[in-house]
Amino acid sequence: MHPHSIEPRGGPSLSPPVRWTIVGIAVLAVGFFALGGGPLKQSTVRAYPSRPLAPEPEPVLLAPPPVDDEFFPCEDCHEGESADPEVRELDEHEHVKLKHGDLWCLDCHDRDQRDLLHLSDDSPVEMSESWRLCTRCHAKRIPDWRAGVHGKRTGYWSGRKEYRTCVVCHDPHSPLFKPLAPKPPPIPASQIHSPTATRSAEMNDAGH
Amino acid sequence: MQDTDHKERTTSRRQFLKAAGTVAGATVGLPGTSKAFDLEELFQQHFRELSQEDLERVLQRMERKYEEEYGKPFSVEATGPLDGVMFGYGLDISRCIGCRRCVYACVDENNQSRDPQIHYIRVLEFEREEVQRWIDFEKGDPFYDHEEVPAEGKLYLPVACQQCEEPECVRACPTTATWQEPDGIVVIDYDWCIGCRYCMAACPYGARHFNWTEPGIPEDEVNPKTHYLGNRPRAHGVVEKCTWCIQRTREGRYTACVEACPVGARKFGNMLDPKSEIRYLIEHKRTFVLKAELDTKPKFFYFYG
Repeated sequence: MHPHSIEPRGGPSLSPPVRWTIVGIAVLAVGFFALGGGPLKQSTVRAYPSRPLAPEPEPVLLAPPPVDDEFFPCEDCHEGESADPEVRELDEHEHVKLKHGDLWCLDCHDRDQRDLLHLSDDSPVEMSESWRLCTRCHAKRIPDWRAGVHGKRTGYWSGRKEYRTCVVCHDPHSPLFKPLAPKPPPIPASQIHSPTATRSAEMNDAGH
Repeated sequence: MQDTDHKERTTSRRQFLKAAGTVAGATVGLPGTSKAFDLEELFQQHFRELSQEDLERVLQRMERKYEEEYGKPFSVEATGPLDGVMFGYGLDISRCIGCRRCVYACVDENNQSRDPQIHYIRVLEFEREEVQRWIDFEKGDPFYDHEEVPAEGKLYLPVACQQCEEPECVRACPTTATWQEPDGIVVIDYDWCIGCRYCMAACPYGARHFNWTEPGIPEDEVNPKTHYLGNRPRAHGVVEKCTWCIQRTREGRYTACVEACPVGARKFGNMLDPKSEIRYLIEHKRTFVLKAELDTKPKFFYFYG
């Protein structure tokens, strides 16, 4: 190879327009970063002050267990009466459709103290504390319920937590949840006519 | 045939010129309109780089803007995270009945567009038998419409943002418009989002939604109690997502979906508090996360209660 064809060290010399372009880009880049461009410098938000977490109060009972004013207190009709222990079709209380295992009225309602419930050892339980009776069969639910994992809680996750007792959600005579009408389904892409909206829905449909 | 073509072309050219004229006119008239071109808005810094004073000014400007737009008093807060809090969420799939109360409670609380419709929560319906061992998302039907739910033999799995500890959406964002807050909520600065939708492609859960048009929220339905990073009304061309009701949960309240659930299947709380519901269910129940194999580490735990 002819020695004159070897270029000087450092690569080919740049023509003035190219050189000025590079200088220009460099100036722009320096300016960009100097003015706060580029990657974020804050790992957290500058404006956030420290907010200590307050200690949590005990959960509060949202609502007392519901009682039917028409039928309660029971003593209004059954005062001094001892209930008939025989399992039979009732003439009264047709609205009660008993669908709770193999239970019969007097398994929970007290035979003599008509306004009260009773546990299996015959100790009386106030209507407002009916959950104590529920625990006799559904003991496994209790820790979950106390922890707020079984049953609904509302209010504050760090503050006034509202809880409910069993009978607020479950009808004690027929405790299984009743089916509900669902809210309307999302609109599929094919039913949206505006072209942009269709694209939106398609993207969303494809999302799951 | 050629004539028609030609006619069509001239029409479209005329339409174009007309449109261009309208745009030019609008630009001149902009300062007087409610959607005024705001220089302050243009030079607004990234949320994380705002100082306390700048943030105050930004929030006040937004309140004024929304008040003008929706004709009622607005509050835009920027409440920060609580110390020692990492949020977690639990959903009891043995309880969920697929009633979609949560979906619409979320729409109302978080000012999602009604038309075109945006839903953060999507309730998938599966054949109970098919998901005994494996959930195949392809088989989940979000469009089920029964007279009453739960339908016989079906299982319901509501899916929204999983608030991942390793959020792929955050990694995908080219403008750092989305990030994870110290309390674990993945948020978006809607004023920094350029609408490229990379995050939507990156999210394995379909949790991000794009505003293809100006969002349609009726004035009487808009929720005026808002958070900068949460439910403040979004603009055309930005991505939005579930923020675990940041405007509520940063004030200690439960999310709207938790409160709406008629069967109490939804649980929310502080994972760093040993006495919280979420901690209890993680410790005592068998939980699983969606698409665990992707290692996105969701903070949304499904469990069987």
